[in-house]
Amino acid sequence: MSLVVEHAAPVKKNYVTALKEALFEEMERNPNLICQGEDIGILGGAFGVTEGLQARYGASRVVDMPISEACIVGSAVGLALGGKTVMAEMQFIDFISCGFDQIVNMMATYHYRTAGEVNMPVVVRGPAGAYGGGALYHSQMNEAWFCNSPGLRVVCPSTPYDAKGLLKGALRDGNPCIFFEIKELYRKREIAEFLPEEDYAIPLGKAIVRREGSDLTFVTYGQNVYHCLQAAVELEKLGVNAEVIDIRTLVPLDEDTIFTSIAKTNHLIAVNEAPMTCGFAGEIVARVSEKAFEYLDAPPMRITRLDTPVPWAKPLELHVLPSVEKLVNAALKSVKF
Amino acid sequence: MSRTSGTAPAANATQKGDTPSIRPRDLLSKEDCLEIFRQLYLARYFDVRLIKEKRLGHLTGTLYSSHNQEGVLVGSLYGLKPNDWISPIHRDMPAFFLKDIKFDWRRADRMGLSIEEVCAQVWGRVGSPGRARDNWSHIGSRSKRIIHSTSMLAGTIPVAAGVVYADRLDGGDAVCVTFNGEGSTAQGIFHEAINYAAVHKLPVVTVVENNQWAYGTPAELECPTTDVADRARGFGIPGLVADGQDVFDVYDKVMTAINYARSGRGPSIVECKTFRAYGHGDHDDDRANKYRPKEDVEKGRARDPIAICRATLLALGHIDAAHAETFRAEGKNASEAKNDDFPPEVVTFLNEGIEFALQSSLPPADEGAKWVFREAK
Ligand SMILES: Cc1ncc(C[n+]2csc(CCOP(=O)(O)OP(=O)(O)O)c2C)c(N)n1
Ligand SMILES: [Mg+2]
Repeated sequence: MSLVVEHAAPVKKNYVTALKEALFEEMERNPNLICQGEDIGILGGAFGVTEGLQARYGASRVVDMPISEACIVGSAVGLALGGKTVMAEMQFIDFISCGFDQIVNMMATYHYRTAGEVNMPVVVRGPAGAYGGGALYHSQMNEAWFCNSPGLRVVCPSTPYDAKGLLKGALRDGNPCIFFEIKELYRKREIAEFLPEEDYAIPLGKAIVRREGSDLTFVTYGQNVYHCLQAAVELEKLGVNAEVIDIRTLVPLDEDTIFTSIAKTNHLIAVNEAPMTCGFAGEIVARVSEKAFEYLDAPPMRITRLDTPVPWAKPLELHVLPSVEKLVNAALKSVKF
Repeated sequence: MSRTSGTAPAANATQKGDTPSIRPRDLLSKEDCLEIFRQLYLARYFDVRLIKEKRLGHLTGTLYSSHNQEGVLVGSLYGLKPNDWISPIHRDMPAFFLKDIKFDWRRADRMGLSIEEVCAQVWGRVGSPGRARDNWSHIGSRSKRIIHSTSMLAGTIPVAAGVVYADRLDGGDAVCVTFNGEGSTAQGIFHEAINYAAVHKLPVVTVVENNQWAYGTPAELECPTTDVADRARGFGIPGLVADGQDVFDVYDKVMTAINYARSGRGPSIVECKTFRAYGHGDHDDDRANKYRPKEDVEKGRARDPIAICRATLLALGHIDAAHAETFRAEGKNASEAKNDDFPPEVVTFLNEGIEFALQSSLPPADEGAKWVFREAK
């Protein structure tokens, strides 16, 4: 609760603290903001993202919901229809499937079918991603389901700065948004950073170049940003200079940043943690192939999970997921094409 | 059940002219009662031992303890026929080996998982029926008639309804007992599936383990009625409430529901009132101490199912006072309980399971890409 008033010397903030700050500040700024989800009040959230929020803003604005994802999302639609802004937490993003109909049919289409009469400022956010041994139902990256459902913003921050700025951006955007947080990054010390003292929001649809390079471009988001950065370090030793783009927002997609990079490096490797078939890496490859084909010196490539669920046992999990090694090998293949 | 020596004949001797009311437990033999007692120790020891193993750093992954809720598991499972189906979820890990385990725990044709298989699963080894592809309770067995759950709460109830429908089509008389927490009753599929089962009079018994908490959310924020069993009314099916701390009361109510289902009259809900001993999972123990008032926890754990069962056996004369003093597991946390607090055969049984798990290797990496589809012959 000391979150909002901090007088001490600035400290580096981790990803989860950044999210927490975004929620406290938006709750303060927007009296119409309601937060709801399973165990977000009394407990403060399974991962502590909403810790202290109910104590500060009360149980009518920070609501412990019965275990029904369909209702958490569906009632958020009703709240939005009634003029509220809603943060709806999924305890794990995997459970979003239980609210799927309300999201893709009720929420995503509302603005469209009312000819713009009703907007849906609802952010459905939750912990996502593999590599932590969470197995089939606590590891998913199911962002592609929502990218294929017009009307939804799809966001995936990879740093504390972005987590805070994009969550604020999403809460102010006015469109429904599925917000993928990377739980393996929540408390990762190495990525903690100083955050601006003043209010900031990152508008959706702006990619960022995480590392500049001249020979090849990795385009990715989420946890794979770090795998690509590590691969770039390995590749450097082999004389290959890789650029790493973190798209941050999948819908809308910042094509310009990607095309500008491809015009420079002429090689593309698109990376996502989800399965390959109809995954977002495929969308990136398609856009570059359609609109920036003339810049390519090699076939664009995808590194993704195999077309499998995420298994539990470590050897299996590592086998199916993208890795630094897989990225390095793909990069070498691409530049040698 | 062949052993029918009766446990409490006096209770059946009602006034003249009345039909004597016989509870399912009254048909249990002394041996059955002692076996039920032993199974409570087995379930408790499994839990205690896993917590110890985790603390020693031998296990990864979250443990969802069934401590204090063993009466629900043992009481629900004891009266099943070998061919019946079950669907355990996260808090029901012992159910996998308790199914059809009566008397001879090592019987070769048992219709339940072996302790070896269950331990291999907990340790994440290839000896698990699921070959460590998914964790903890996400296992099952078609041949042993155990539904393989996902994480998605209440998700097995429609599957239970479907599998007994199939069994009926094939001329079987199997019943399926599904386990669910009170929190999971908030899911739409809980209601959708019971509705379907009620419409078709399918033999599905939905056991609700009401342990008062769903992670950090108290029961009253999940369900508006005091008794979850009241939900049954809307479907026109029986809704029974059992004292989950009394294994014999659970047995009575679940057996009543099972008999009702098997006779073709349809599904029912049996709510067992109990209390979660620890945090939601072991990762939540510290936080649970903050969000659950200490007095509530003490009260909820005061009626240990082992102690209550012992008292019943003493009253029935199935054990004498000296025997009753032999093992004292009740009320003890994993850190306090010792092997001596449990019957030695319980400890040996689990040691053998763990031994097997440790001998079993991790699955080979390329199995990660296997079995997405059925392979063409
Ligand atoms: C559809 C779905 N939403 C959320 C979860 C996360 N979750 C796992 S267990 C749990 C609480 C379950 O409470 P209850 O049903 O009472 O069972 P208990 O753990 O008390 O035995 C929650 C919210 C889940 N597994 N599935
Ligand atoms: Mg519960």
